[in-house]
Amino acid sequence: MSSRIYLGELEELILLLVALYDNEAYGVLLTEELQKQAGRVISISAAHAVLHRLEEKGFVRSHMGGASAERGGRRKRLFCITALGRKAVEELRDIRNQIWSMLVKTAPS
Amino acid sequence: MKENHTPPAWVDRLLEELAPADLAEEIKGDLRELFFKAVNDKGVRAAKRRYVFNGLGFLVKRFFWKNDPYNNPNQFMMLSSYFTMARRSLLFYKGNTIINTLGLVTGIASALVILTVIRYELSFDTFHSNSDRIYRVVRVTGTDLTISERSECRTGISYPVPDALKSEIPSLEKITSMEYVGGAQVDVPDGSGAIVRKFREERGCAMVEPSFFTIFDFKNTGFKWISGNPEKALTEPFTVVLTRTLAKKYFPDGNVLGMTLRFEKSFDCKVTGIIEDLPPNTDFPFTILVSYASLRSLADDRFTQKRKNWYGVNDEHQSYVVLAPGLSTQEMEKQIAKVHAAHTEKELYESRHYLLQKLSDIHFDARFGDFNGRTISRQTILSLEFIALFLLLTGCINYINLATAQSTMRSKEIGLRKVMGSNPRNLVAQLMTETFVVVLIAGVVALGLAELLLPHLQSLLNVTLTHYLFTDPFILLSLLAIIVLVTLLSGFYPSLIMSRFNPVTALKNKFTTEAIAGISLRKVLVVAQFTITQILVVGTFIVVSQMKFFDSMDMGFNKNAIITIPVPGRDPESLKVLEDQLRAEAFVSGVTFSSTLPSGLNRDRSSTDIGRPEAASMKDYQIFEYQAVDPSYLEVYQIKLLAGRNLTMQDSSGNILINKTLAKNLQLGSPEQAIGMQLKMGEKVTVVGVIDDFYSNSFKESVDNMALVINAKRYRNVSIKLNLQGDQGSLMDAVRRIEKIWTARYPDSIFDYQFFDENIKAFYAQEQKYAQLFQLFSLVFLLIGCLGLYGLITFVVNRKSKEVAIRKVLGATLANVLMLFSKEYVQLIILSFVLAVPIAYYAVDSWLSNFSHHIELNGWLFVVPGILVLLIALIVVGAKSAKAASRNPVESLRTE
Repeated sequence: MSSRIYLGELEELILLLVALYDNEAYGVLLTEELQKQAGRVISISAAHAVLHRLEEKGFVRSHMGGASAERGGRRKRLFCITALGRKAVEELRDIRNQIWSMLVKTAPS
Repeated sequence: MKENHTPPAWVDRLLEELAPADLAEEIKGDLRELFFKAVNDKGVRAAKRRYVFNGLGFLVKRFFWKNDPYNNPNQFMMLSSYFTMARRSLLFYKGNTIINTLGLVTGIASALVILTVIRYELSFDTFHSNSDRIYRVVRVTGTDLTISERSECRTGISYPVPDALKSEIPSLEKITSMEYVGGAQVDVPDGSGAIVRKFREERGCAMVEPSFFTIFDFKNTGFKWISGNPEKALTEPFTVVLTRTLAKKYFPDGNVLGMTLRFEKSFDCKVTGIIEDLPPNTDFPFTILVSYASLRSLADDRFTQKRKNWYGVNDEHQSYVVLAPGLSTQEMEKQIAKVHAAHTEKELYESRHYLLQKLSDIHFDARFGDFNGRTISRQTILSLEFIALFLLLTGCINYINLATAQSTMRSKEIGLRKVMGSNPRNLVAQLMTETFVVVLIAGVVALGLAELLLPHLQSLLNVTLTHYLFTDPFILLSLLAIIVLVTLLSGFYPSLIMSRFNPVTALKNKFTTEAIAGISLRKVLVVAQFTITQILVVGTFIVVSQMKFFDSMDMGFNKNAIITIPVPGRDPESLKVLEDQLRAEAFVSGVTFSSTLPSGLNRDRSSTDIGRPEAASMKDYQIFEYQAVDPSYLEVYQIKLLAGRNLTMQDSSGNILINKTLAKNLQLGSPEQAIGMQLKMGEKVTVVGVIDDFYSNSFKESVDNMALVINAKRYRNVSIKLNLQGDQGSLMDAVRRIEKIWTARYPDSIFDYQFFDENIKAFYAQEQKYAQLFQLFSLVFLLIGCLGLYGLITFVVNRKSKEVAIRKVLGATLANVLMLFSKEYVQLIILSFVLAVPIAYYAVDSWLSNFSHHIELNGWLFVVPGILVLLIALIVVGAKSAKAASRNPVESLRTE
């Protein structure tokens, strides 16, 4: 795999949330969760844009499903994380942990 | 939850319009979910606001506009399928495709050529910085300040005028004067002063002031000074600036600056500068620019502010002024008139006016002319534009006709497409693509064709092109516009017709040719096309007849077998020797000396006025041209003497011959009565004879007043009448003999001979070119028209092959079948002829009225070309239908 993973901060958060709600994640849910977990307010269209980008990069996969009355009978696009996506977030976590461990060692306090 | 609250529907519709179905669905779902949550939390209004805000938020996101990543078919795929299908169907109907393309290629190529010409003509002298403020001072002789039909329009102004204007009109921004010198002899002396090379420059030599280049700066034309100082090069007398080409011609070894050139064997000029060649699209086509100061040194007395100097004029001496911005021409003309009045007497300033002519009008106003000797009227440009338009139109008409005719053959295809789910929009797009492909191919081919043709047409069209068409952005853009326009014009109607087919009828193939609504339109179009063609053919026929008429009409003198040469010296003894030597040759039957030639282009004219003895004021005088001749003049040119006697060498200049027109205008009565009359022409003169009128002008004008006098000091031309018998060798041998005598006599002059009849022909060079152009255009029109007819008849013959077979089986003859096919077209062409005649009549009648002598219009001039067109069309139709008619009927009946 490529040695570089380009993930923006927002992208990473949303990717993690998709992993959390695997196969249940969709636009509205993710914006709400983002607000709850990270206290960030983003517009619905921004969330869609991020999801599209993630899908293009191959980190998430999607299918249509789950119509409900509150959506006026319209289906939602449900997202789940791909193996590549999981690997990407894990790698990012590992890199951070590694740097953090070094930071802890050298920290004066 | 309040169910009756709905989000704004227009947002949904907008999203549906813009996004592929899937994307719209998920977005709308999410939006609605948020909406209902917001209704509960924040109320309906806020929810609606947020709905709109959120929905519109998608429109600024890039992913929204990316072409549906999920599963919608690609729009571009459809387009590429249109092109694939266009290619297939164009290849399938090869014959039609070729005819269509050929028609369009001819149309577009001609339009491009015409466009190039028009652009070239309109570009004359538009590049000077202040071109909108530059004016030429022109001389108009007439009763008042405005130019009327009767006023005489000339360009020359008297020598003292520019100086007076400059010093007495302070508001005049700039003025520059120049004198054009036609037919200058330019010699190149070597260091010791001996002449090494001799040249005669018919055109391009001018005397200009240094300010010439400040007014005419030739901006962005590539013009520049190669060497020499632009400010000082032309200030001193006897300095000259050469263009690059001329510098190379005179001094091939490259050493030019500071060298000397001898002009007219009389004065030497030092080369002080070299400039880049001037662009071809200027009416100042100068190549040798002698300083105007030289003219002042040579003819100092002509420039002084003496009254008499304000009378003399030379049309090659012209002045150009730059007006300050905002100053009107009328105002300046008034000031000029004031200056003129201050220097001259009443009789002059009341009849002669100096007016201003815009620089941008010079190239288009034949009344005043220009240094190129060639103007083009705005009318001509307009008619060229029309012709280009019509050429394109006939190409389109061909396409429409063939495509609608073809549509019956394609009805099954169209029907099937409709059954398979094509909607009319798809079909129109499909058929328009086909048209576009044809037009595009035609456009590209036409560009290449125009490029190939233009170099050959340059002399005919009078253009000098310096660059290629396909690198010219203007031409490329016009071509693009033409392609788009032609595509829309010719593709729209057929595709509309076809897309409206009822699929059931179409599939059953029930259409016949007549059943299609297009048939009536098609007839209209054929008529329109042939009307245009007939107008042009009739026009051509009449223009050519008029040219023949010019050529055959008696001009009042004999122009055949006469060679004319300008003579350098005016010393009577030396001329006498030349005459004797020439007369000694067996092939010379006559020799005469004169100040000018009786007629022809580029000859000197001297005019003055003459009146009856009792004449008092200006209007009692007649302006007339006078020529100094010798006694053989009448004999050599076979000019008839009506009364009195010929002049002899013993006559003083007080004895004159006048022509019939002058006798009439002076009211001298019959030729016999005029003999012996005393007239006032400066001093008193006596009429000794009256000659018959001869045309000193072209037939475009009428006869001028004319008088002949004896004056050996003014001889400038020798005319030699040749009489070649069988054993005396060819014309060229005779010319060579004369050249030998000439060079022995005048070793430092150039033997510059001319056949007199060719000079006369040059009168009509412009008309001759029009005639050729007309012939070319009508040929193109006929070609396109016949191509269209051929396509139509091919189609009809194919459709009716069974009908023909059955008719033949039942006993129809070849003639019957031919009639069957040709009848309709004969009717259409006759109808178009009827329409064409009045338009053509109007057009040629106004053209002919330009000439004071022209052919009388009669029916035959219209009927003959009409029949010609009909015959050509019949041949096209007949050839194709004869083939069908002679086919074995079994063959067409056997196959179903």
